[in-house]
This record gives sequence, structure tokens and C-alpha cells, in this order.
Amino acid sequence: MNFKIIIRVLGFLLIIEGIAILLALLVSAIYNEHDLNAFIISAGINLSIGGLIVLTTKNTNKNIGKREGFIIVTLVWVVFSFFGCLPFILSGSIPNFTNAFFETMSGFTTTGSSILSDIEALPHGILFWRSIIQWLGGMGIIVLSLAILPVFGIGGMQLFVAEVPGPTPDKISPRISQTAKTLWVIYLGFTITETILLWIGGMTVFDAICHSFTTMATGGFSTKQASIAYWSSPFIQYVIIVFMFFAGTNFTLSYLALKGRFKSVFKDEEFKYYGLFIIGFTLIIFIGLLVSTQLNAEPAFRDAFFQVVSIITTTGYATADYLKWSPILTILLFSLFFFGGSAGSTGGGIKIMRIVLLLKNSYYEMRRMLHPNAVIPVKFNKHSVDSKIITNVLAFFMLYITIFGLSTIIFTIIEPDVESAMGAVATSLGNIGPGLGNVGPAENFLHIRPFGKWFLSFLMLLGRLELFTVLILFSPAFWKR
Amino acid sequence: MKIVIAGAGEVGTHLARMLSRENHDIVLLDDSPEKLSNISSDVDLLTIAGSAHSFEDLKRTGLVKADLFIAVTPFEERNVLACSMASYLGVGRTIARINNSEYLQERYKAKLKNLGIHELIYPESLAAKEVVASVKQTGTRQLIEFSGGKLLLLGVKVRENAPVLNKTFKELSLENEHILVVAINRNNVTIIPKGTDFIQNGDIVFFVTTRLEQQHVFELTGKKIFEVKNIMFLGGSRVAQKAIEKLGDQYRIKIIENDLERCKKMADKFGNALVINGDGRNLSLLKEEGIEKMDAFVATTGNSETNILSCHLAKTFGVRRTIAEVENLAYMNLAEQMDIGTIINKKLNAASYIYRFTLNAEISKVKCLTASDAEVFEFTAKTNAKITKKTIKDLGFPQEAIIGGTIRRGIGYIAHGDTKIEVGDKVVVFTLPSGIKKLEKFFK
Repeated sequence: MNFKIIIRVLGFLLIIEGIAILLALLVSAIYNEHDLNAFIISAGINLSIGGLIVLTTKNTNKNIGKREGFIIVTLVWVVFSFFGCLPFILSGSIPNFTNAFFETMSGFTTTGSSILSDIEALPHGILFWRSIIQWLGGMGIIVLSLAILPVFGIGGMQLFVAEVPGPTPDKISPRISQTAKTLWVIYLGFTITETILLWIGGMTVFDAICHSFTTMATGGFSTKQASIAYWSSPFIQYVIIVFMFFAGTNFTLSYLALKGRFKSVFKDEEFKYYGLFIIGFTLIIFIGLLVSTQLNAEPAFRDAFFQVVSIITTTGYATADYLKWSPILTILLFSLFFFGGSAGSTGGGIKIMRIVLLLKNSYYEMRRMLHPNAVIPVKFNKHSVDSKIITNVLAFFMLYITIFGLSTIIFTIIEPDVESAMGAVATSLGNIGPGLGNVGPAENFLHIRPFGKWFLSFLMLLGRLELFTVLILFSPAFWKR
Repeated sequence: MKIVIAGAGEVGTHLARMLSRENHDIVLLDDSPEKLSNISSDVDLLTIAGSAHSFEDLKRTGLVKADLFIAVTPFEERNVLACSMASYLGVGRTIARINNSEYLQERYKAKLKNLGIHELIYPESLAAKEVVASVKQTGTRQLIEFSGGKLLLLGVKVRENAPVLNKTFKELSLENEHILVVAINRNNVTIIPKGTDFIQNGDIVFFVTTRLEQQHVFELTGKKIFEVKNIMFLGGSRVAQKAIEKLGDQYRIKIIENDLERCKKMADKFGNALVINGDGRNLSLLKEEGIEKMDAFVATTGNSETNILSCHLAKTFGVRRTIAEVENLAYMNLAEQMDIGTIINKKLNAASYIYRFTLNAEISKVKCLTASDAEVFEFTAKTNAKITKKTIKDLGFPQEAIIGGTIRRGIGYIAHGDTKIEVGDKVVVFTLPSGIKKLEKFFK
């Protein structure tokens, strides 16, 4: 194991985090609030530790193997959360370390679960920092560093595969660094467009930027306690729906669309199912809301649409409290917790592609039983899918459900309410944000006991890195030579 | 530079790996997804599963914007067709791998160019050339001729009887004006020598010299030149056939081949050679056919292990010249340590040949040195090139590279510190892989 390169890469990444803190520092300086010192100290700590590591680990063998790749990617997210919670603690916004770590991990993994009960009371710098960590985590820290740092030799692809969600990450261009750059440029472009639209819709520039950050990351942190419900403007809500939808789409497709190849976008099978699921669930919930509440057609449609897109893309914004809906609608929405965005998007969860492959495979299995000698491969995008990928998807699903089940059992020890426990675990694993019961959209995670918070933080990491990257570190085979 | 490679076979993957490391954008096209997934996990490139002779699949590789298209699938007709299609789609330059020397003839060149096939590569023929060169030039590991032999690069293994041992390069260059040591390969590491280094026993030393002074190199290294008359070929592969064709009538050749059908074909094709049907690993057969009387032993079966071991065996029988085809790159150093004379690798040969097309300077020759990763180039100094501005010692030439000599108006000169290169000179430069990029700017 080449530990030196692992440390060196972490050093470089700490510098990147330091630079991100400087951005928040800038905001704090503009508003001239009391959190300025906290940012100065945090940036100093990040930059000096990162710089020290980079300077002392020169002349390192640049070779990053598979094992180093998995360790680097997992460690980066943990280390980032440790250093990223410094501004929260130092500014006194979240003085408790456990709470601050939970908030930061929830940010980086784009979960969006919060322990804050009075968000509006926080200074602007801290609010901005909350948004920017989600933005960094959305497209991925490693992907960002691949785009701007030339530190990785041949190991870049290992890292890319370990971080980018989906069973088979695509490259857009021959060079991994070029692919990463393209992804970030698209990401940045979407963010800027959304900022402008939200600003036109009546948000302040500050709120518009923060919400664009957290929308595109499918994160869900808001600058308001009431989340998006704070703005009653339908325009703002529709804009956010559209951009949540983009964020939950495979960025390769966005790239194709920007190049004018709409045909290949609409031909994409995952995209079709993604659209179908959204339309289907929206319609059912819309009708359900019309029947069960006194809402008018447009607000009912908007509430249904917003909540469905917010949950399926794992963003977790709220414009309505779905716990107050009739139980059938709540459970329908809860089932979406397990869908997630498309592969190659910033969304979490199981991912549409996996769900579709699983369903197709199960359906073909019946045909295979009728025709024992028939060769019936699972087809996706008109190509048969390698059985290796099917096995991988099956294993992923099995693990996901097992982890969900086991974690719920463990969590009920801390949180005796089964519904809340299920909600908390599912929302953390799927990187969504709000859960059920006492962690619903109108509540927060402050009241959960420290052990529970650490446990949920771990689940968020598992979910963001799609289980295998983290779990593999716990397998004995990984450490055997 | 953006390069599309069709065919993820041995040559294709080797090229992709090498060129990707040089910061070229590589797209690799092959119809086997397994082959592609193997390479894409450790090389930074884009892979596309598809057929090399399908317009749709070729388009998907982004060929329109590519500078170079290399077709190296195992099928000649597919390569030729693919290159033609790629040209039609708008790629800058195409290279096709062929298995038939007919295409190489000068009179068909224009026809092929009309079809959109710009360059041809015939790896077996390149390998056969090496075999022939090494049979004809005993005493050296490698011989590379520049501009038709105006300058020579000789790779010689130095043993304890060599007078050149333990002399510093400074002394050496003072004593021999027309000989320059450009590199040594010691314990599998290639070193560009400095004035105070000296040659040790067991080094492979690369000299640049002229034809006249060639004999002097052999004297310095204590090599005796002998005439090769009897050659035994193990395996009637395409490389062997090509080599026998090139060697001509003045040698006594024996071929040992396992496959009866192939034996018949070979016997039909080469009237002057004795074709023996049998297993080359059979010791008594080799003895019966008089292996100890052979001057040279060439092992080019498809199996690298067999080639290495049989050459080793031949050495113990006293065969002075052994040549093994080693396709497995990992075995090359091993073979070198086992003292197998010349090692031939089709992939490296082909890759060096193609390599020149990726550089932004005018190059007439690129060769990879055996048993090392270093390359030697023959550049042409263009008008206003940086290289022509100053004398060599003032150029600030990269440390990883060294100028061996120049060819000016048909006469070869050995380079010295105060040599000044003129426009139109051909310059022989020797470099480690890390220096290649830096060289480019000197010759632009």
C-alpha cells in the first residue's frame, strides 16, 4: 500500500477545501459579521496543514492502485467533513462537535438533514459555507480535483469510478481530467443560470446563489427554516423543480443536449424511465391531494410535482409537509426514497438505472424459467447488458436493503419510534434530507442522540459513495496482500 | 493530439498505453468489450465498443476531429478498409497495419493514398529486418543505420575482456574523436552518460560512429567479428518466413517447425532451406540436426517462453548468435539477464515506427533500443529551429537526451560540444522517454 501518495492527495485536497473556505470568508467579509475570525482560522488551518503535507511528500511514487483509490476516496470525504466543520464550531454557530460533524457530513454527502432549529439566525458566511459544501460534494470532491489538479498519474480512473455514482460511469472525452472539467463546467453553467432565474423570481442574490448551489448538488440545505415554502412564488418553485430535474439527470445527457444531440437524450432509456416515474408519481399524488384536501388544482399540482421531484432526485427541499398528507400519499412518497436520481447525476439513492435493470432482470427471469435453454440477456439502451453488471446491481440492491434493514433495527435502540427510525435511516442512506415521524420535513435532527448522529453520518457516507467504495475497506480481503 | 486506434490487440493496446502516457487523447475502438474493459481500467483513454469498418461506430469515436487514425486489427483487409473510411470521414492521417509486402511497393503507393491510406505498417516485416540485421552484424546487440549508413548506432555488450572498461567517458572521447557513447544500459536501467562516468563489465553500451570507424568500436569492446553461415530457425512464423526471404541464398538455413502443413508450405516456398518437421523443444532432434554447428539460432515461435529457453539452450551448445522473439514485455529484462543475444519485439518495433507520426517535428527515423525504454530519433533541423541557433553545449539541451551526431550534405559527423547544427542537417538524438516532449521544441 502506497500510504505516501494517499497522504499527499489528501494534502492537495485540503488546500482545495481551504480555498473554498476563503470564498465563504469573502462573503463573511462583505456582510462584516462576527464569523469572520472563524473563517480566517479555518482557512489558515486547512491551507497550512495541506501545504505542509504537500511540501513534505514531494518525490512520491505517483502510482495509485485500486486499493489506494478506495482509501483515498473514502478518507477524503471523512477528512473533508472533519476540517469542514471547523467554521461551524469556531463561529459558535454549532458549538457541539458531534452536531457540527453531522451537519458537515450531511452537507458534503448532499443529504441535507440539519440539526439547526433557527437557520435564519446564522450569519451569512456560515449559511454560504453550508451551501458551498453541498455544491462541492454534489459533483464530487475527487471529480473537482481531477479537473484542476494534475497530481494523479494513472490512478485517476480508479478514483473517478470510486466516486461517480452509477454502475458504469461514462467518460465524455478520452482524458479523465478533460471529462471532469467538462462535467464541472456544465455543473457551473447550470448553477449560474439557476441563480439568475431565482434572482429574477424575487430572491435576494445571496439566497439565489445559495439555493442554486444546493439545488444543483441535489443537497437541500436552505437559508430559511421553512425551506422553499418560505417563498410562495410559483415561479421560484417551478424554476427549482426544473433544476432539480436537471441535477438528477445524467450529466452526460446534459452534455449531449448542450451539443444539440437531443435525439440521443430522448432515446436514453434511463432518462425515459426517470421522466415516467416522475410523471406517474406526480399524477397519482396530485389526484390524491385533490381528493383528500381542499387545495386548488394548481397549488395541489405544484405541491405534488415539487415533492416528487425533490424526493426522487434526493434533494430534500420541502414546500409542503408530506407527513400531513393522507397515509397512502405519504407512503407513496416514501417509496421514492429508494429510487434516487439517474446514474452519473448528483442525486443519491439506488439510481433509476439500477431499478430498471432489476425490474427487467426479474421479468426476464420468468421467461427464462419458461424457456430454460433460451438466451435472454437484459437489454438496456438496445444493447444487452453484461451479466457482470447485472450481478453487481443485484449485489448492490441486496446490500442496500440489508443495510437499510439492519440499520433500522440498530436505530430503533436509539430512537424507539419505528417510523422515525426507518425514515432517518432511509433518508441518510439515500442522501435525501427529511425523513418520517420526528425527523420529517418540518422537524430537524437535533434531538437525536450523539451515537445516532454518528451512525447516520456513516450511513450518509455509505450512500454517497454507493456502498462498495466504503464497505470494501471493511472486507478482510482488501487488507490481505 | 487526438488519436483513434482501431483494434485492441497487442500492438493496439501497447500503442494506446504509450501514447496516453505522452498526453495524447486516445480513443480505442474494438469489437470486444472485454478487451476494452481490461485496458480502460488502468489507462486514461476512451474506449468504444464497435466495429472498425462501420461508419456509425467510426463516427462515434469522434474521428472528424482526430489527427491520426491507426488501424491495427489482426485483419489486413479490415485495416485497409477502415483507414479508407476514416479518411472519408475526415481524419488527418491514417496508418494501416498490413500482412502483405505487396502493398509496400512504391508503385502502389499513390493508389493507396487515393484510397485514403497514408502510411502502412507491417510489424512482421520490421521484425524480420531486425533479425536479418542482427544475423549480418555479429558482435552487436543492435545496429541502427541513419541516412543509409552515414551514421551508425551500435549497441554492444561489454565483457571483461574489453579494453574500454573502467575508462571515463572524458578520456574516451579525447582518444577517439569519431566515436561517441550516447547511452549505457546497466542492470536494466538506461543511463545517459556524463563525462566522469565509466563503463563497467556487463553494460550494454550504445556507440554512435561512422562506417569507417565501426571496426574501432569492436576493437575497443574486444569483440571478434565472425561470419555467419549456418542458421537454424525455430518456428516457421511469419517473422521467420519474412526473414528467410530477406536473407537470400548465401546462408545455409534449417527450419524446425511443429506443424506439418506449414512445413510443406515452407518447403515449397524456400527451396534452399531444409525444413524439418518436429518439436523444437526436443533436445535429441536439435542435436541430430547439429545445433552445435550453427552460427546463429533464431527462435520466433509464437511462444515467448519457448523462444527464450531454446535460445538459452542454443547458447549452452556454443551457438554464438542467438535471436529470440519475446512478445511478453515483462520477459524482456529477464531474457536480457539470461544473456540471450538479440531480443525482438514486434510490438515495440511497430510502436516506435508509428510514434514518429505523433510528434510535431520532422523525423525520418525512430527506433526503440532493445532492452531499454529509450528511443533514438533522426530529426531534420528546419529553418529557424531553436537547435540551429547555438552550439550544442550552449543549447541547454535536456539532461535526458543527448545528440549523437549530424549528417550534413551526405557525410556523417560525430557531435561535439562546439558543433553547431545547420539548417537541413539530420540530427541523431538519443533520449529517455521523459525527454521526448522537451525535444520537440528544439526542432520546431
